[in-house]
Amino acid sequence: MASPILDNAPIPTLTKSVTEESILQFESCGILDRQNIHNNHELAAQRLGTSYTLASGRMSITFASEALRRFFGPEVFNHSGSVNLKFLRPVKDGDTITVSGSVIQQDPVDSGTQVTVMVQCQNQNGDTTAVGQGSAIVP
Amino acid sequence: MAQEQLKPFKYDDVQIGEELGSYEYVLTQEMLDSFRASVQDPDACFPTLAVKHDATALNMVYDDQVGGVNAGNEVEFFNPPIVGKKIFVKGRIHDKYLRRDKPYMVIEATAVDEDGRMLERLRTYQMKKPDEVGKKWHPQS
Repeated sequence: MASPILDNAPIPTLTKSVTEESILQFESCGILDRQNIHNNHELAAQRLGTSYTLASGRMSITFASEALRRFFGPEVFNHSGSVNLKFLRPVKDGDTITVSGSVIQQDPVDSGTQVTVMVQCQNQNGDTTAVGQGSAIVP
Repeated sequence: MAQEQLKPFKYDDVQIGEELGSYEYVLTQEMLDSFRASVQDPDACFPTLAVKHDATALNMVYDDQVGGVNAGNEVEFFNPPIVGKKIFVKGRIHDKYLRRDKPYMVIEATAVDEDGRMLERLRTYQMKKPDEVGKKWHPQS
């Protein structure tokens, strides 16, 4: 980032549509051909009692990472970034997830300033599906 | 990828610090493209997230018929992986604990590439009573 980061500065808001297709495509990127609660309705019903499969929490991690990468810039975030999310509600086919957040802390470190951002994901009903923090070291 | 002699997963037997599977694979352009399409981000550069390094390491050692719900993830990014390069992954049990009488397990994986560049460290907090979470989520709705 060229200019100093202000306390409480918002990160770019990001909205993603989650579909059965996107969930399955995300799962297909793995190197083990494995059935799980994300790609198998029967397993989801058996293990969770749900009538639907769940999007992997790592999809929300990826969405949050994109918002943070846009905020910090790829040269910063892709080399010093972190995301830490707690998942509160399921994300499933048909959901629209909005990522938002703002700067909550800045601490000097050897290589610059560690900037910490509060991050949350909300679905189309306004329910929070995930909450946590992201950070990066700004030179 | 060979999966031989998997041990039956028993939560009580899992040890903190226990090493899980170590493995390697080559990141392909197809994997990267598919990942980017799935998350609608043409600039996403950590398809390793969708490979689920830590869960894969667990599943290379254990036959887990219980399953689990991902209660949280922590990821640190160091360098984006490069298409065509080998990625080496090591997994381990980082922690296990009870919270509100529910068993949790934290699995961790670190990934470096064939040039020794650190790529990513990923931790997953798994709750090993998935039916409890399903009830909380009101599956009928």
